[in-house]
Amino acid sequence: MLDLFPSREASPFGRRLKRERGARIPVTVVTGFLGAGKTTLLRRFLASPEGQGTAVIINEFGAVGIDDVLVRDSTEETVLLGNGCVCCITRTDLQLALRRLVFDRERGLVPPFSRVVIETSGLADPGPILQTFSTDRALGGEFHIDVVLTVVDAVNGEAALEGMPEARKQAILADRLVISKTDLASPAAVDRLTQRLQQLNPRAAIDVAVAGALDPHRIIEPVTGERSSFVAEAEHGDGIASFVIEQQTPIAWPAFARAMDTLIALRGNDLLRVKGILNVAGCRGPVVVQYVQHFGHPPVELEAWPDANRASRIVFIARSIPERQVRDLFAAVQALAK
Amino acid sequence: MPANDKSPLSNGYQPVTWNFKLLAHDMLGGFGGMGEGMSVQIAPDGRRIIWLAHESAPKNFTAVDVSDPRKPKVVCQTDLPHANMRSNSLETCGNMMAVAYQTSKKDLQPAGFELFDISKPENPKSIGFFDCSGPHSRGVHQLWFCDGEYVHCASGSRDFTPTNALDDQFYRCVDVRNPSKPVEVGRWWMPGTRQGDNVMPPPRHTIDKGYRAHNTNVYPQRPDRCYLAYIDGGMFVLDISDKANPKKVSQWTNSPPYTGFMHTIVPLFDRGLMLVTDESTENNAKDWPKLVWILDARDETNLVPISTCPMPDPAIYAAAGRFGAHNIHENVPLPTAWQSDQIVLGTFFNGGLRAYDIANPYQPKEVGIFMPPAPPGAPTGTIQMNDVFVDERAIVYAVDRHVGGLYILEMDF
Repeated sequence: MLDLFPSREASPFGRRLKRERGARIPVTVVTGFLGAGKTTLLRRFLASPEGQGTAVIINEFGAVGIDDVLVRDSTEETVLLGNGCVCCITRTDLQLALRRLVFDRERGLVPPFSRVVIETSGLADPGPILQTFSTDRALGGEFHIDVVLTVVDAVNGEAALEGMPEARKQAILADRLVISKTDLASPAAVDRLTQRLQQLNPRAAIDVAVAGALDPHRIIEPVTGERSSFVAEAEHGDGIASFVIEQQTPIAWPAFARAMDTLIALRGNDLLRVKGILNVAGCRGPVVVQYVQHFGHPPVELEAWPDANRASRIVFIARSIPERQVRDLFAAVQALAK
Repeated sequence: MPANDKSPLSNGYQPVTWNFKLLAHDMLGGFGGMGEGMSVQIAPDGRRIIWLAHESAPKNFTAVDVSDPRKPKVVCQTDLPHANMRSNSLETCGNMMAVAYQTSKKDLQPAGFELFDISKPENPKSIGFFDCSGPHSRGVHQLWFCDGEYVHCASGSRDFTPTNALDDQFYRCVDVRNPSKPVEVGRWWMPGTRQGDNVMPPPRHTIDKGYRAHNTNVYPQRPDRCYLAYIDGGMFVLDISDKANPKKVSQWTNSPPYTGFMHTIVPLFDRGLMLVTDESTENNAKDWPKLVWILDARDETNLVPISTCPMPDPAIYAAAGRFGAHNIHENVPLPTAWQSDQIVLGTFFNGGLRAYDIANPYQPKEVGIFMPPAPPGAPTGTIQMNDVFVDERAIVYAVDRHVGGLYILEMDF
């Protein structure tokens, strides 16, 4: 587009944005194993001032006893709730539900919601949900996942993490972890769970919520700032590891893109989540990139760096991909591209 | 067009704020019916003053100290000499302000524009007046004044007899370098609109609003061009390299089949694009669609419309008042004005203030909406957002046409 209609104001990645989501609708994905307390957390959030104008999508009925007035199961219709929230229950198709929300909002059929919270079923792997926003360009243009939040209960969480790979994956892919029901567990059990979660996901901050009481901002505020404190390699179990590639010198975009293309072509299935903030040669602001398995979000350039650190930082959460090989791949492609 | 049964309007007016943050709202002392003149001055004492034109009598103009955008303070509000006139448009340049005077009937006075020294915002001092009254003239509807030297305006004149009474205002360029003695240096009108022209008068539109000038924008990037909106005549690019003899470079119109009232032209010079707005003038969206158009202007002699900024379903908004395009932020070439060729901000009457990302000009995308609750006493029961200006700090000022006064906002996209 810049070839046809050049602009000194725009970057090769389009309009420079104040924040990664730009003007898109922010999405919070709430995961957590069966009975972890997701609905309680959500109910408290919806009742708070910050929860006003939230559309809720529950993508599947689990075994949780969802029987309160906030969540209705009848018709897969979008339902206006008494507190001004919209609750949409869809059993199967997240994409359709999200598209319909946008369509109905534009037609004035639902209130002008300003964010979406997706509550996954207890058994859900959050990976496919993240992937939905990468693979569906229409959805990716309207919505942006700001937070993946995983609730783990202090009573049964440790056992779930040990016995259920889905529970581990929920913890590993989270941006924030919330330990619930600490009032029902011993302090020692809470400590053990905290350590286990830190081991599984050293990137994520861990909050505690009793009876769903959590600062509402922790549910909706994006985690960019927290992610800037990138951590060293961590082994999560199930062959999943996270590591950070850092580079002090600016990266040439073609070299980065080709390195990622190669990695995706060879091991896309094992790239569970990749997120980076890049110092791209020739760009004023940082360029944010995100990948989920084979799919990448369109990169965006921000107006300004979040802090004084100008190094490129890319977090990989990957299965059975050694950090060394990724580091070597990037070095080799950059060397060849010079 | 009836409102949808489930529409926000049918259920009572429902405000929408999406990706804007409201910093302050000022009803301007109960005189909040605002026109389409908004200009920011940095006063000699350092205060930031926004000067606002009123849509109709009794007020002339209002100055608001917006140094702290969260705490606006009216510092000056003046009266018109009588009720059969309006000062719909104004511009400031340094410590000088030009204010347009248009009368409700022909041959009334004062009709023209007045020049003020605004060094002391509390006490604007008249330093000049350019008379445009005449037996066929209502004076000046709109003016453009950014270089401190020339006022470009949509005006009638004593010596101009239109072929149709509605076609009384045309493009005039007035030298104000000596503010006490403004002198016309050039003019241009659409051929056929003046008696004595050697071409036939243009055919009238179904909704006949006149073949007359509206916005008369001139930018330093192309000081030899005037981007002239001509209401039912579409738009013209004029060559004003010889100010005494403006010449048509090109014309573009969307009407018919659209319903005329072309309002504002904003060229985006780097990009070879042009923004063109129509004005909605009919209640209940009877003149729908009134849009913001994007033109490929890489060849100024062959303007090609490539897209329009998307608007919501008119059925939702047709219940009350006007709905459709009007003013947009015009990248006024002053240090106190925000400049962007990526974002379009426009006012759409009961559609509120809307922002569009035009990074891809083939697919403009709405990125922000500010549709506040109907201000107290709103005759339509809705907001009727009329004009918008963005200062160089990216603070957005928007005004209501009837009662709501001034809204100050931050962009959050």
